[in-house]
Amino acid sequence: MVKKSKAPSKTPFYAALAVIGLVGVGALAYVATRPSNAATTVDPATITAGEPQGYLLGKADAPVQVIEFADFECPACGQFATLAEPDIRKRLIDAGTVAYRFYDFPLPIHKNTWMASNAAACADEQGKFWEMHDQLFNAQDQWNGQATSRPKSKFQDYAKAIGLDVGKWEACYDAKKYQPRIKANEQMAIKRGASQTPKFVIGNKMVGGAISYDRFKTYVDSALSLAKADSSKPRGSGDSAKAAAPTKGPGGQ
Amino acid sequence: MILGMLALIGVFVSTYLTLYKLGYIGQLQCSIGSCETVNTSPWATFLGLPVAAWGLGFYVSALALAMVSIQEKFADSRAFSLAFVALTGWGVVFSGWLTYLELFVIDAICIWCVTSACIVVVMFVVSLADLRGFRAA
Repeated sequence: MVKKSKAPSKTPFYAALAVIGLVGVGALAYVATRPSNAATTVDPATITAGEPQGYLLGKADAPVQVIEFADFECPACGQFATLAEPDIRKRLIDAGTVAYRFYDFPLPIHKNTWMASNAAACADEQGKFWEMHDQLFNAQDQWNGQATSRPKSKFQDYAKAIGLDVGKWEACYDAKKYQPRIKANEQMAIKRGASQTPKFVIGNKMVGGAISYDRFKTYVDSALSLAKADSSKPRGSGDSAKAAAPTKGPGGQ
Repeated sequence: MILGMLALIGVFVSTYLTLYKLGYIGQLQCSIGSCETVNTSPWATFLGLPVAAWGLGFYVSALALAMVSIQEKFADSRAFSLAFVALTGWGVVFSGWLTYLELFVIDAICIWCVTSACIVVVMFVVSLADLRGFRAA
């Protein structure tokens, strides 16, 4: 700030502001558009090649197929699950537009995430994967690696809260019955190039981060228009099977 | 002028955190601390808006004030110095509260939040020095 009689030249100040501004804008543009965050086009053929290990929500034959690679202990996954996902379920999945599949992608930096995936897989055995999914994400701060090194008692509370046969769930949990499935899901995420969590494959686009409902819907709309364009093409054109592929997700559950 | 430059740096730091909070940036660059733990905690929102957005508002106000205060006609105005002390003083209190939450409630530190808190403290010190300059003159 300048005051008193003789003010110095403002040119160096404006030059400094310009430099800071350029560096700042450049840095922000880089982080907002770097490859790990921007949507990339993927080969739809590889999407259908997955093992049927994902947890399905919605109608399996919905026009837009979405898969999510997520880590139960990742804060961004929790943010997405609690902020954007309720709207996605209500407006896109329940409406029959989207078939949504969740694949475990437990990251090594999170020490309780494998146990959380294990808890969810055992809930799935009783048909309540999504109820456990919601419990885990809603209360992430209660059982994550920073909160405890023994999360089982918390998971047990959630199992009770969602009405599971807790004895059966516990036997499954202790036996780590679904470790091979979780491992397979993790391998699939790596194979698909999921470099971060959460990562989504929406039609033929792959996008990462705790994206908003609006952004998610933009990709769904784009996949939907591809599906519509394909269905309006005459049969036997030769391209139809290939063009339909982008909106088809993994092989199903 | 120093205040203007610091405010502009603060604008970028808070914009980065706001973009993250709004879901436009997948993961924060966080070599030290647990930025995501802090920024996804319940305390990352204040009166319905992300805390980072409040920070952005603060820095934009400070930048605007700095740009106006360097104009020739305000060169001898003490009012701007007082306004800066009041604004940055409030910023120090708010940042102090956030840092307390990080250290003792959330139990995690966000390097970007600490950076912002440091900027605010330096701005406050510069504002005080500026005001003292007026008193001495």
